[in-house]
Amino acid sequence: MTLTIEMLFPEIANLHGDNANIEYLARCLPDARVVRTGLNETPAFVSGIVDLVYLGPLTESGQIRAIARLAPHKSRIDELIRTGTHFLFTHNAMECLGSRIVNAEMKYDIPGVGIFDFSTEVRMFERYTGKVMGSFEGTSQPVVGYKSQFSMVSSSPETPGFMETTRGIGRNPTTHVEGVRRENFVGTSLIGPVLLMNPHLTEWLLSSLVPSRKPQLALSDFAVAAYDARLREFQDTKTWSSFERVSG
Amino acid sequence: MTEPTVPTPGKRHGPRYGLRALAALWLGKCAATMLRFLGREGTHVPGRIALRVYPNLLGVIARPDTVIVVTGTNGKTTTTNLLADALHTLGKRVSTNRAGSNLRDGIVATLINGVTMWGRCRSDVAVLEMDERSALRVLPQLAPDIVVCTNLTRDSIKRNAHPEYIAWILSSAISPETTLVLNSDDLITASLGSDANARHFFGVDPTGNESREPSGSAVDAAICPRCDERLNWVFWRFNHIGRVRCPACDFRSPVADVRVSPIDRASGLRSLTINSETVDIRLANESVVNVYNVAAVAATLDVLNVAPQTIGLVVDSLTPPTSRFAEEAVGGVRLVRLLTKGLVGVAVSRAFEQIVSVPGRKIVLLAIDETTDRFDGVENTAWTYDADYEYLADPSISAIYVGGIRRHDQALRLALAGVDSNRIVLVESETRGADLVPLGEVDVVFNLHSNHNAGPTGDAVHRKLRQRLMEMNS
Repeated sequence: MTLTIEMLFPEIANLHGDNANIEYLARCLPDARVVRTGLNETPAFVSGIVDLVYLGPLTESGQIRAIARLAPHKSRIDELIRTGTHFLFTHNAMECLGSRIVNAEMKYDIPGVGIFDFSTEVRMFERYTGKVMGSFEGTSQPVVGYKSQFSMVSSSPETPGFMETTRGIGRNPTTHVEGVRRENFVGTSLIGPVLLMNPHLTEWLLSSLVPSRKPQLALSDFAVAAYDARLREFQDTKTWSSFERVSG
Repeated sequence: MTEPTVPTPGKRHGPRYGLRALAALWLGKCAATMLRFLGREGTHVPGRIALRVYPNLLGVIARPDTVIVVTGTNGKTTTTNLLADALHTLGKRVSTNRAGSNLRDGIVATLINGVTMWGRCRSDVAVLEMDERSALRVLPQLAPDIVVCTNLTRDSIKRNAHPEYIAWILSSAISPETTLVLNSDDLITASLGSDANARHFFGVDPTGNESREPSGSAVDAAICPRCDERLNWVFWRFNHIGRVRCPACDFRSPVADVRVSPIDRASGLRSLTINSETVDIRLANESVVNVYNVAAVAATLDVLNVAPQTIGLVVDSLTPPTSRFAEEAVGGVRLVRLLTKGLVGVAVSRAFEQIVSVPGRKIVLLAIDETTDRFDGVENTAWTYDADYEYLADPSISAIYVGGIRRHDQALRLALAGVDSNRIVLVESETRGADLVPLGEVDVVFNLHSNHNAGPTGDAVHRKLRQRLMEMNS
C-alpha cells in the first residue's frame, strides 16, 4: 500500500526548518508519495485519500493566506479528523484551525477555520523562546523540543492537548497543556523539527500510519543519540530558566 | 493584515539643546573620554549614559547635512565601512560607527562623538550601521536622508523570527521622506517602505550559470505578492536572492538602477552600470556577497549625485575586510578558516557552498554550535534545518569531523542531508579533530567555527593543523 503525505502550501509554510519533518518521514517510509500542494491549488485531501496532512510554520501573512485556503474545506477537515486521518500541524500552523487570531500590532482580528475552540493572540514585540519537555500518551519517553513564537494559544480546557509538559510552558505560560490532539490530529507549537528531535514520537506516528508494519526509523543511531543527549540535558534542572515555568 | 503604520514624517529640525540635552551630551563625552583613556574604543556606553539623562537626545542632537543608515541581515558592517571609506576618499568628513555598536545606544554614541562640546556638528555625512530590529527605536527620531538595505534573509530564529517580520519593522519605522537604496534581487528588501518613498535599486547581473529553480532550505519569497501564484525564477542565486516574474500577472522584480556585471575572466574586470552609463571596475573581493555590497555602495553614491566615472574610481580603491576567511598553505595542503555563524542558516549555507566550490580532496572540521545561547537564554537548534547541509554531501569531501556539545544533532542533520554516515566522525571535543584528521590524503582542510569559539576552537585547531603539517614536512 502506498501512503500519501500531503504537504500544504510549502512555498509559504516552510519556516524554521520544520519541513524536514516530512523529509524525515519520507526517509522512514520510502514507498510513500509526498504531494506538495501549492497555495493556488485545491488540496488533495478535499477529494482524494490522503494518509497524513502536514502544515508547517507560517509568517503572519502566511497564516491569513492559509486560513483563506482552508476555510472553504472546514467540513471536510472536520470529517477527516473524525474518521482518523492523520494530521501534523507544527508551530503556528495549528493556530489557523482555531476560532480566531488577534494581532494588535499588525492590526487584524480574523476568524480561523474554526475546527477547534481555542483562540490565538499574536504579540509582535513579545517573542517567546523556551524549551519544552512533556509526556505524550503514545510514547513512554518524554517529548522534547523548542518554542520560538510571537503567539500564545488560549487555554481552552475543553480542547484535548497533544502533551502535558513536565517542564516548559504549554499553550501559554499558565498551562501545562501543549498543542492539540483529536483522534489522529496532532498540532504542536514545538519546532525543532519535532519528528527528528523525537525518534520515539516518529515511531509512534509510523506505527499509527502503518499498523501492520514494524516501524523502521531512518538514521536511527544518529536520531536516538541526539535525543538521548538532549534528554539528559533537559532533565538537568539547572538548564531551565524561570521564564520556562508555568505560572498560576 | 493592514499595511505597516508609517510614522509621522520625521523632518529634522536643527539642534535645539536645552540644558538637560547639553548635560546629556557632556556626560556622554566625558564617558567616551574616560573609556578611550582605558583603551576601550567604540563602545555604546556614552550613548547609553546620555540617553539615561535625556531620552530624546537622538531627536535633537546636531547631525550632518546627510545621514545615511545601512541595515540588512548580511553585509551591513562591510557596506557601512566601504561607504564611509568611499565618502572619505571623496573628501567628506564622515561620522560612522565602524568600531561601535549598531544599536540605538551605539548610534547615539557615534553622533555624540561627531559634535563639539557645544553640540555643533563636525562632519559632513554620517554613515550609520543599524541593527534591523532597532529601527523603531532609531529611525523615527533620526529621520535619515537615506536608508540602505543590503538584504533581508533568515537570521536567528529567536531574535529575528523571519525576514517578513524584519521588513514589517523597517517599513513601520521608515519615513516617507527617506530615500531607500534597496536590493532589487531580494524581493523582501525591494518591498520596503511605501509608495511615497523614493527607491533606488541595485543588483548583480546573472553569470548564466545560475539555476532557474531554487534548491535551498530557506526560500522566503516564492509567491507573487499580488496574486499568490508561485513565481518563476529568471535566475536563482541563493535563498530568495535572484530575479522573478509572475506567470499569472505582470509582477516582476524591480529593474536595478545600478548593476554590476559578472566578471570578465580575461581582464578581471566587471562592468558597473549606473542608469545608462557603464564604467569598468576591479574588485578586491570577488565573493557574490561582496559584489552586492559594492553595488549598494555605488547605488548610494549615485543617490548622492556622485558622477558614475568617479564612483567607478572610488569603488576600485575599496578594500573589503576578509576576516571571515583566512587561508595558508603548509607543505602543499591548504588550511582554510571560515567563520561560520551558527544560528544563521543563510550564513552557514554560504560557507558550505564555498567549501564545495574549492577544487581538490577536502576534509571539514565542523564546530559551529552557537552554545553561548544556552547561557543567556535558550539554545534552539532548529536553525540547522534552515541551512543547506546538502552541500557537504559532495563526494570531494572525504570526511567531516564534528566536534562539540551538539555533535549528535549535527551528525543527524548531515546524515539527513545525504552525507554518507561513514564520512561523519564524531569527536567530543571541538578541537580534538585537528589531531585525528588524515592530513596525508587531503588537499584542503576546512576549519569551520562560529563567533564565540573563534579563539578557543578556531585558533587552536588552526595551530594544531599547522604544527602537524610542518612536522610531516620537516
